[in-house]
Amino acid sequence: MNITLLYGTETGNAEMLAEDIQSELESGHEVDCQNLEDFDPGDFDRDAFYLLVCSTYGDGELPASAQPFAEAMAAAAPDLSGVHFAIFGLGDSEYDETFNQGSGKLAELLVSYGATQLGERIVHDASGDDLAEDLAFPWAEAAVAIAAEKLSEAA
Amino acid sequence: MTAQIAIVGAGPSGCYLAQALLKAQPDLQVDVIDKLPVPYGLVRYGVAPDHQGTKGVIRQFARLFERQGARFIGNLAVNEQISLDDLRAAYDAVVLAAGLPGDRSLGIPGEDLAGVHASGQLTQAINEHPEAADLPRLGKHPVIMGNGNVAIDLLRLLAKTPEELEGSDAGPGVSAWLAASGIESLQIIGRSQAGQAKFDPVMVKELGKLAGVTIRVEGAGDSDDPEAAKKLAALAVIDGHGTGRRLVTFRFGLTPVALEGRDRVETAVFRTADGGEERISCTAFLTAIGFRAEGALERDALVAGAEDAEGGKLDDGLYATGWFRRGPRGTIPENRADAQALAKTILAEIPAEGSGKPGRAILEGLPDLVSYEGWQRIDAAETAAAPEGRCRVKISTRARMLALSKASEELR
Ligand SMILES: Cc1cc2nc3c(=O)[nH]c(=O)nc-3n(C[C@H](O)[C@H](O)[C@H](O)COP(=O)(O)OP(=O)(O)OC[C@H]3O[C@@H](n4cnc5c(N)ncnc54)[C@H](O)[C@@H]3O)c2cc1C
Ligand SMILES: Cc1cc2nc3c(=O)[nH]c(=O)nc-3n(C[C@H](O)[C@H](O)[C@H](O)COP(=O)(O)O)c2cc1C
Repeated sequence: MNITLLYGTETGNAEMLAEDIQSELESGHEVDCQNLEDFDPGDFDRDAFYLLVCSTYGDGELPASAQPFAEAMAAAAPDLSGVHFAIFGLGDSEYDETFNQGSGKLAELLVSYGATQLGERIVHDASGDDLAEDLAFPWAEAAVAIAAEKLSEAA
Repeated sequence: MTAQIAIVGAGPSGCYLAQALLKAQPDLQVDVIDKLPVPYGLVRYGVAPDHQGTKGVIRQFARLFERQGARFIGNLAVNEQISLDDLRAAYDAVVLAAGLPGDRSLGIPGEDLAGVHASGQLTQAINEHPEAADLPRLGKHPVIMGNGNVAIDLLRLLAKTPEELEGSDAGPGVSAWLAASGIESLQIIGRSQAGQAKFDPVMVKELGKLAGVTIRVEGAGDSDDPEAAKKLAALAVIDGHGTGRRLVTFRFGLTPVALEGRDRVETAVFRTADGGEERISCTAFLTAIGFRAEGALERDALVAGAEDAEGGKLDDGLYATGWFRRGPRGTIPENRADAQALAKTILAEIPAEGSGKPGRAILEGLPDLVSYEGWQRIDAAETAAAPEGRCRVKISTRARMLALSKASEELR
C-alpha cells in the first residue's frame, strides 16, 4: 500500500513522531512523509492512504505548519470523496479546555471536503506518562490494517 | 572533509539549529558548546517545573546527539575558557545561540533594597540552576511587577499548594520553600492596561485550576481590539475564581516610581494612569520585566556592528540565532523558525566540504569538558533519584555534575 504521512507541527514533536512511524512502516510499505505546509490539497490520491499527525497550539488551534494547508484547502475546495485517512493528535492536558483540538479540527476539515476517516482519532498527552510512539505505533498498524481492507474493497 | 560548525549555546535555538543543519546535510560536523555541564538552556532552567509537557521537546534534542551526530561539549564558557576569536579561527562557521541571561532593571530608587528580586535570578533559583542565588524570603504579601508569561509562571508557582506540584521536577529545597512560604496575598501588577498585557490568555486561564486561591481582577476595562479582547476574556473567566486562603489580585495601569523601606522593601510607589500616586505595601517585590545581555560575549556590540542582524549574520563566518539574535522575546516555537531560516543561510554561505580548519581538535586538552555521555550519566542519576511525586531531582551544583559525568569512566 502507498502510505503518505502528513504532519502539522510547531515545535517539531509531530515531525519527529511522523518520521518514527515512517521507519516503523517502511519494511512493509511505500511510505512518504511530508510537512502539511508543503502539501498541496490538489495532490490527494484515492489509491494512497493518509496518516496524519498533528499538534495543537494557541487556544486549541492548528499548529503553524498546518495553517497554510488549511488556507490552501479553503482556496482549492477539493473534492476528497474516496480519500481515506487516519489521524493521531499531540496535545497537552495542561490546556484542558482545548486539549487536542488541533487534530480534531484537522480531521473535521478533511471530512468536510468528503474524505473518510478510518478508526478512532488517538491522542497523546504531553503531560501524561505515555510516550507518543507507544500510542502511535499500534495506532498506525491498526489504521493500515483497516485501510488495507477498505482500499481492496474499493479496487 | 566536511564543514565544521560550532554552535555556542545548547538551549532550544542552538539545538534546533543543529537539527536543521544536520537534517539538510547529515555529514556536517556540528559541535554544540555550552558553558554549563548540562544541555537545553531555558527548557531546563526557565520553563516552569510544573509544565513538564513543554519540556517534551528535549526528546527531539536528545535524538540530535544520539542519532543525528551532533556533539555536545559542556562546561566550556566561550570568551572565558576559550576566546570567540580562537573558535572562529578553528571552525568554518560559529553561531552564537547563547540566550540573554541578564535581568532588566526598573531603574527606580529603592531597587537595591533587600526583598527586591528579579525574575531571572528567581526562576534560576526555583529551577536549581548551578549559578543561582539562594531562594529568598518573600513574606506574607509579595508583589509581582510585570505582565508577561514569566510573571504568570511565578504567580502560579507561588500560589500552588504542595499537592499541585505533583508530577513536576520541583526539587526538595524549592518544594519546602514553597510549602513554608506562608503567603497570604499575591498582587500582580501591570504597567499597561489589561488588554495590552503580554501574557498568553491560556496562561491566565490555567490559574482557574488553582485550589488554594481566591482571584480578583481589578479594573481590566474592555476593548474592541480582538487580541486585547482575548486577554480580557481570559481575565474575566478567572475573576472571582475560588474561595481559597491566598488572595490573588490582578491590577493594571500602575507604573512603579520608587521602592521604599528601612532594611527591606516595605512599600512600592506607583504612578496611576491618571497621574495620581498609589502606595502598595508589600513584603517582597518581584520584577518580571524582561531580560538583557550579560556575560562574556559582548552581545550588544556584536549585534550593533552586524552585517545583517535581521538575517542573523554578524560577520564573515559568525552568526546569531534565538534570543541572542532577536532579543528576549518569543517562545520555543519561534526559536525553531528562526533556526530553520538561519540554517538555510549558513548552508548557502559555507562550502560543504569545509576549508580544512582544525575544528574541535583545538578543544583537546581543555579541562573538565562534559560530553553527551557525561550528561546522560547526570540525567540518569537525576531521574533515578526522583522522589515520590516528582519526575526528577536536579543536581544543583557544578561540582556534583562534573563528578557524576566522569564517574563511570573511572569505573570502566
Ligand atoms: C522563566 C522563563 C520561562 C519560560 N517558559 C517558556 C514556556 O513555558 N514555553 C515557551 O515556549 N517558552 C518559554 N520561555 C522562552 C524560552 O525559554 C526561550 O524562547 C528560549 O529558551 C530561547 O532559547 P535560546 O536557545 O535562544 O536561549 P537559552 O535557552 O537561554 O539558551 C542559551 C544557552 O547558552 C548558554 N551560554 C550562554 N553564554 C554562553 C557562553 N559564553 N558560552 C557557552 N554557552 C553559553 C547557556 O548556558 C544556555 O544553555 C521561557 C523563558 C523564561 C526566561
Ligand atoms: C503556546 C502553546 C500552546 C498550546 N496549546 C495547546 C492547546 O490548546 N491544546 C493542547 O492540547 N495542547 C496545546 N499545546 C501543547 C502541544 O500541542 C504539545 O506540546 C505538542 O506535543 C506539540 O507538538 P509539536 O512539537 O508537533 O508542535 C500547546 C503548546 C504550546 C507551547
